[in-house]
Amino acid sequence: MTLAAHALRLSFSDSGATVIHALDDVSARFAAGELTVIAGPSGSGKSSLLHALAGIVLPQQGEVTYGATLVNQLREPQRDAWRLKHCGIVFQDFRLIDELDALGNTLLPAQFHSVRLPNGMHARAEGLLERFDLPRRAGPVTRLSRGEQQRVALARALLLDPPLILADEPTASLDAQNGQRIAKAFKALARDGKTVVVVSHDDQVVAMADRVLRLKAGQLQPQSAGLG
Amino acid sequence: MNPWPVIRAALLRYRFSALAFVLLVAAGVALAVAILSQERALRSGSARAADRFALIVAPPASRTDALFTSVFLRPGAGPLLSPALTEKLLNDPRAAFVSPLAFGDSYRGAPVVGVVSALVAHLSEGLAQGRVFTTREEAVVGAHSPLQVGDRFKPAHGVHRGSEVDRAEGDGSAGGDDKGDRGQLHRGGPDGHALQITVVGRMKPTGSPWDRALLVPVELVWSLHQQPTGHPPDSLQLGPPFDPQFTPGIPAAVVQTDKLAASYQLRAAYTGAESMAFFPAEALLQLYAILGDVRQLMSLLALVTQALVLLAIVASVFMLFRLLAPQFTTLRALGAPRRYVFVVAWGFTALLVGVGVMAGLAGGYGLSFAISAWLARSTGVALQPSLGQSELLVSLAIFGTGLVLAALPAWRMHRVSLASAMKGA
Repeated sequence: MTLAAHALRLSFSDSGATVIHALDDVSARFAAGELTVIAGPSGSGKSSLLHALAGIVLPQQGEVTYGATLVNQLREPQRDAWRLKHCGIVFQDFRLIDELDALGNTLLPAQFHSVRLPNGMHARAEGLLERFDLPRRAGPVTRLSRGEQQRVALARALLLDPPLILADEPTASLDAQNGQRIAKAFKALARDGKTVVVVSHDDQVVAMADRVLRLKAGQLQPQSAGLG
Repeated sequence: MNPWPVIRAALLRYRFSALAFVLLVAAGVALAVAILSQERALRSGSARAADRFALIVAPPASRTDALFTSVFLRPGAGPLLSPALTEKLLNDPRAAFVSPLAFGDSYRGAPVVGVVSALVAHLSEGLAQGRVFTTREEAVVGAHSPLQVGDRFKPAHGVHRGSEVDRAEGDGSAGGDDKGDRGQLHRGGPDGHALQITVVGRMKPTGSPWDRALLVPVELVWSLHQQPTGHPPDSLQLGPPFDPQFTPGIPAAVVQTDKLAASYQLRAAYTGAESMAFFPAEALLQLYAILGDVRQLMSLLALVTQALVLLAIVASVFMLFRLLAPQFTTLRALGAPRRYVFVVAWGFTALLVGVGVMAGLAGGYGLSFAISAWLARSTGVALQPSLGQSELLVSLAIFGTGLVLAALPAWRMHRVSLASAMKGA
C-alpha cells in the first residue's frame, strides 16, 4: 500500500499570533520498499509533513491516504488505532521512558490496549533487541549510550511490525558512527518492504535514500516533487 | 490496557514526591482513625471499669467528680458525707454491702484505698492469689501492683509518684518498704506512716484503676488519719456494723444490692440535700456526650485537614503532570488512546491515595494502641482499641474522595491536544 499526501495545507499561529504556513500545497507519494528522506532547512515544514502523514496533526486542506484509508478523515480514536497499527515512529530525542529498561520500552506499544501481552510479543521484542545488538535487561535505558537508546526507540517502533516507519531527525543527536548504523537500519527496513520516511539533513541518511524530497517554506522544491 | 509500566516509571521518577504524598494522606487518615477508635475504646474501657459498681453515694456535687473519685480513683479535695449519714448508709440493711472509700495515702504512686472486705471480693470475683485482709495491718493489692503477697509496705500521706511528692492533703509523709530487704523494719520518714502493712492477697484483673490500688481495711486509713475507726477505740473489728458514735465522714461509698429495685430505692433514699446517689452509667453517659461532641469536632477537623491534604496533593499532581507531559505526548504519538493516558494519570494519583489510606488505617490503629497504652499507664483504665465500621467508612470516604479528585489532573492530561503538544515538544 502507498502512503500519499494530496495538496496538504497546514498553518498555525505562533505565540505572537503570526500565521505560519507550515505546509503549502504539498503532495507526495511514499511507496513500500522505499526509503524517502525529507530534507530542508529548519522551519521548512519537514516535521509538520511527517506529523500530518502520521495523523498526529490534521491539515486544514488536502488529504493523507494510506491505501483506501483517508487518514485525516478518521475520528481521533480511529486515527490513534491506525497509527498504532500502521506507523512506527522514531523521534530525534528517542522519547524513551527513562525508568524502564530496554525491553520495557520496546514492549510499551503492545500494552496500550491489552492488559496481557499478546502471544509471542515478548519473544518478538527480545528478537528486535537482539537484532539491534541491545541488552534485554540492563537497568534503566538511561544507562545505555545514545546510539543504543535510539536503537531501542527503533525496536519499539518495529514491535507491532508496522508497514510505515516515520522518523524525525533520528540521527541528529548521534555521533557519526551511530548515525551511520541507524541510517543502515532504515535502509534495511526499506529493503524488507516497509515504507520508510525519514526527516533528516544528515548526509549519511540522505546518501542512502531512494528518494529525497526537499521542502522550503512549506513547499516541495521542484526537483524533488514526489507525486506520480 | 496495562498502564502499570508507565505508572511505575512515574513513581520511580518522582519517588520522593510520591512518598511525601503517601505520608500526608496516611497522617490524615491515621488521625481520623485514631480519634474514632480511641473514643470507642475510651467508652468501652470506662464502661467496663464502672461495670462492677452498682451505686455510688457521695456528697452533693458533681457526679463526674464523684465518679472519678470512686471508680477511677482520682480523689479530689471535695466535701465529705456527714458522719451521721455515713453511719446510716454503711449500716443500711437494704444493701448487700456498702463499702466506704477512704483515700489520702499512697505507696509509690499507687493509691492506698480504705474499703471493706466485701468490696474486694466483689471487685475481684474471687482473688487471684492469697486471701482478703482480716486485720488492720493487712492489704490486698490490685492485679498490676508490683507488690507480691508477703511483701510489706508503709503507706505515705498524699499521692507520691516515684520520688516526686505531690501532697494531696495533710502534713505529708514519705513511705518506705522492706521489699528486697525482708525482715528489717523501716522507720517511716518525715512524711510516712510508721505502720507496716503486709500484702496477703492479689485481686484478679478488673481493667480499672483498681488494678494498681492497694486495698486496706477502711479502719486502718481512718486510724492513720487520727479519725475514729467506726468502732469503739479498743475494738479490732473490721467492717460492718459501724458504731454511730465512732463513724467519721467519707468522700464516697460504693453500694451493692442484690436486686435492682433495691438499688433504685437506695438511689432515691440517698438523693437529697446531704448526699447524692447515682448509677455510674448515668455519669458516664454525661461524659460520653461530651466525649462524643469532642470526637465529632476532632473528626470534623481531621476530615477538613484530610480534604485540604487531598486538594494540595491534587494541585501538586497537576504540576507533576506538567513535567510528565512530554511522556504522555510520546505515548499518544505512538498510538496510545486518550483513555490510556487518563488511566495512567488517574492510576498514578489513585495509587498514592490508596497506599496512603491503607498506611493511614494501619498507622491509626497503631496510634490508637499507643494512646491506649499511655492512657492505661496514666489512668489504669484498660483500653482495647479496635478498627470499627466507622473507621473503615471514614477511610473509604477519604479513598473515594481521593479517587474522584484524582480524575481532575487525569482529565486535564487526557484532554491535551496531541497536535499542539507535538508542536511544543
